[in-house]
Amino acid sequence: MEALRKVKVEVRNVSLAYGATKVLHDVSVTIEPGEFFALLGPSGSGKSTLLRLIAGFNQAQSGQILIGGEDLSRVPPWKRDIGMVFQNYALWPHMSVAENVAFGLEERRLPRDVVRARVAAALELVGLKDYAERRPGQLSGGQQQRVALARTIAIEPKVLLLDEPLSNLDAKLRVHMRAELLSLQRKLGITTIFVTHDQEEALSISDRVAVLDHGVIQQIGTPMELYDHPANRFIADFVGTINLIRGRVEPNGDRARFESPLLGRIELRVPVTGAADAEIAIRPHALVLAAADHPGDAGRVWVEGVVAEREFLGEFVRYTVKVGDAELIADAPHFIGGASRPPGARVKIGIDPAQVKLLS
Amino acid sequence: MSSRFTPAQLAVALLIAAFLVLFLIVPVLTVVYVAFADGTGGFTLSHFASFFHISLMRESFRNSLYVAFWSVVFASLIAVPLAYFTARFEFRGAALIQTLGVLPLIMPPFVGAVAMQLIFGRSGTVNLLLGEWFGFTLPIMDGLNGVIFVEALHYFPFILMNLVVALNNIDSSMEESAQNLGSSGFRLFRRIVFPLAMPGFIAGAALVFIKVFDDLGTPLVLNQTNMLAPQAYLRITTIGIEDPIGYVASVIMVAFSLFALWASTWVMRDKEYATLQRGYGGLAKRRLGRGQSVLAYAWILLVLAIVLAPHLGILLLSIAKVWSFSVVPDSYTLEHYATVFQDSPRMIWNTVFYCGVAALIDVVIATAIAYILLRTRIPGRQALDFTVTMALAIPGVVLAIGYLRTFRDIEIPFTGELLTTSWALLIIAYAVRRLPYALRSCVAALQQMHVSLEEAAENLGATKGRTIRRIVVPLMAGGIAAGLIVSFMTAAVELSATLMLVTAQHDAPMSYGIYLYMQSAAGRGPGAALGVLAVLIVAAGTYASHRVIARRGTREAQGGIAKVQEIQTAGA
Repeated sequence: MEALRKVKVEVRNVSLAYGATKVLHDVSVTIEPGEFFALLGPSGSGKSTLLRLIAGFNQAQSGQILIGGEDLSRVPPWKRDIGMVFQNYALWPHMSVAENVAFGLEERRLPRDVVRARVAAALELVGLKDYAERRPGQLSGGQQQRVALARTIAIEPKVLLLDEPLSNLDAKLRVHMRAELLSLQRKLGITTIFVTHDQEEALSISDRVAVLDHGVIQQIGTPMELYDHPANRFIADFVGTINLIRGRVEPNGDRARFESPLLGRIELRVPVTGAADAEIAIRPHALVLAAADHPGDAGRVWVEGVVAEREFLGEFVRYTVKVGDAELIADAPHFIGGASRPPGARVKIGIDPAQVKLLS
Repeated sequence: MSSRFTPAQLAVALLIAAFLVLFLIVPVLTVVYVAFADGTGGFTLSHFASFFHISLMRESFRNSLYVAFWSVVFASLIAVPLAYFTARFEFRGAALIQTLGVLPLIMPPFVGAVAMQLIFGRSGTVNLLLGEWFGFTLPIMDGLNGVIFVEALHYFPFILMNLVVALNNIDSSMEESAQNLGSSGFRLFRRIVFPLAMPGFIAGAALVFIKVFDDLGTPLVLNQTNMLAPQAYLRITTIGIEDPIGYVASVIMVAFSLFALWASTWVMRDKEYATLQRGYGGLAKRRLGRGQSVLAYAWILLVLAIVLAPHLGILLLSIAKVWSFSVVPDSYTLEHYATVFQDSPRMIWNTVFYCGVAALIDVVIATAIAYILLRTRIPGRQALDFTVTMALAIPGVVLAIGYLRTFRDIEIPFTGELLTTSWALLIIAYAVRRLPYALRSCVAALQQMHVSLEEAAENLGATKGRTIRRIVVPLMAGGIAAGLIVSFMTAAVELSATLMLVTAQHDAPMSYGIYLYMQSAAGRGPGAALGVLAVLIVAAGTYASHRVIARRGTREAQGGIAKVQEIQTAGA
């Protein structure tokens, strides 16, 4: 199968409500041609609704959806040429694998030999050419998903939509399929939008991610931007694990001074305009965990605490450390023979101000 | 869905609505109107007053309630253990029992009634044997007892089938968590299993109540005319279409049937169904202990013997030369069948034709309504469902009276034939009365279908119409076929509307013929022979449709087997 034409998707000021329930509120996002784009959010955030809107299964009250510069708002789903892989795969149990894949081509009234060739090519692409005569019920979950994928790309759609594509697979297969999806997308070059509630999944394979909550886009960016520079508290908390510390910020020359009962005073290398209540965020792995008798150093702010819980996660050990009334999560890398601190152990935590993110 | 509905969908909905208004709502409202109207078009209760002044009518009213109530009780006593044993325990022949349990439905209750008299009547087989061996007899078939007995035996499958479905829908985790918390045995059944299956039981029980209230043939054959349906029938056929007392009786029947229907949904309001999650198993089947096994089998065999008695009786009667005051017939003959084949091939054809067409009309309308109900947002779509369901509560006698009154003097275009004397009206009556069964079957089939299967088709370029043809209807095929079978089966044994709407012998279906034969002692042999043929035709139709469904099913089954083999070879 050849590379497909790369198309741009633009969502402009889209709002959608069911009665009084606002599902999407003034959503705008532009997806570049050939991009692998993720819509990430908790359940009920509106991410699936946005995907279905692009496919034509929902109607927005206002706003526009442009595919390749063309407004599709009034075009019914069957004329959109936008391939969608459904969460439950939606394979028709009364048709064989080949009949499933041929369906969209038959609906396009293509000559029979063209249909046959393209079905074979699509099945070849997903590695299922020996399964053409099977029924969907005879396939494993992973195979069913490949059929769904083959059925969708067989029509050579302008855009590929994936609705929670990996959620029905077991953990091992999920990681495998995720790599496979990405390589397929790169091979075809097709603009791809996928919906997921799993931040690890979104961060690992997408070029860019839009995070939604309560029908509002919270942030759009590359995975690294989201992780390192969360735009707000929701993003900081939702993407990865993070420590949030409340306090008060005030200007200090061209820098900021953050004061909190937990950490005392720290200097942050960001400018602020005036004094205000604020929150800082810091990733667990950016905290340095040391023994209670560690002398400390000038580059970090050090606080003392007691280990409350310990979770062994293989690559690292995650400690929940009680500091005063608050708790901090700190990850310590794990090596064979490395130190392990049991609950109750007194420890010191070092915080590098450069790793601290001031949330607005 | 992308839009609320398309013009084509709206047009279909309007067409169906028009059909229902013309052939269900208007006729029923006409009956109600006549019952409350004085001669000048004003409102009056005087017809009701005169109805309750007639002591025969008061008695009929009481008798109908009495019979309906006790029929439900006895039907439950038969159905609940059968359903529980077969759905819940590992049991040889459970499928057979459930199938045999459906048998009574395919023989008209009034046909069974004649056989029941021969077997359980005062001088029937059972009482002759009892009298000979133990010196006493049981008044099983005396008076209203006979009606109750026949009705309970005939209609218990409604409770059985609803209950089995409900039991099979209980997620095994429901029961397992109760067991995990220490519940078992009868307490487990009483506190968890039965309450969860309650919607099925209530639905079945309400249906039995309504059907018994509505039944005309059984009381007539057993000569218990002091009930509402026979009275309505007799008043209209003997006194005439203008007699208001028949209308009052009709309105009372409709009111009580509607009440039963409403009560059954009211009782279950706010109660959540425990439905099966996809991929999870139903109740685990347990093994019975030795003693339990013996008891269960004994009970089931006893029930089956009684249930099958009328069928056996009819078969014997159809080949008996003489059968009276004896345990079994004295001598046998095939001449009744010869008589029937000579007299009434026309009736057999009429039954197949009328019921076939009615069943086809039903599944087409039911599929359309199911789709409109579940897949479009046409305003008032629930009203279609509601109206069709209401048809359940309209007794055949009432619908027929409504037709005769509403369509009197109306001619069929171009032929000049009166609609009320045409067989077309009979087909319509069958279709309207059986529509609720077909609708439930189709709605269930479509409900089980995930909407993403259709969205995937639209996403790949199929329009709504193409999606219905290529995806929806093929996937609903099982439900549609089931609806077709049930509609056909039950229409073939319909008597109450038939008796009133058949005006010419050559237009009559078999049920009418059987009834006519059964009126005279000499006609019982041929009547029974015709009854046996009716059962055979219905059974053949059922078997044929089962084959169609099974062929689809085996592909799935083969899929399952292939998967098992795959796993086994992978393991080796």
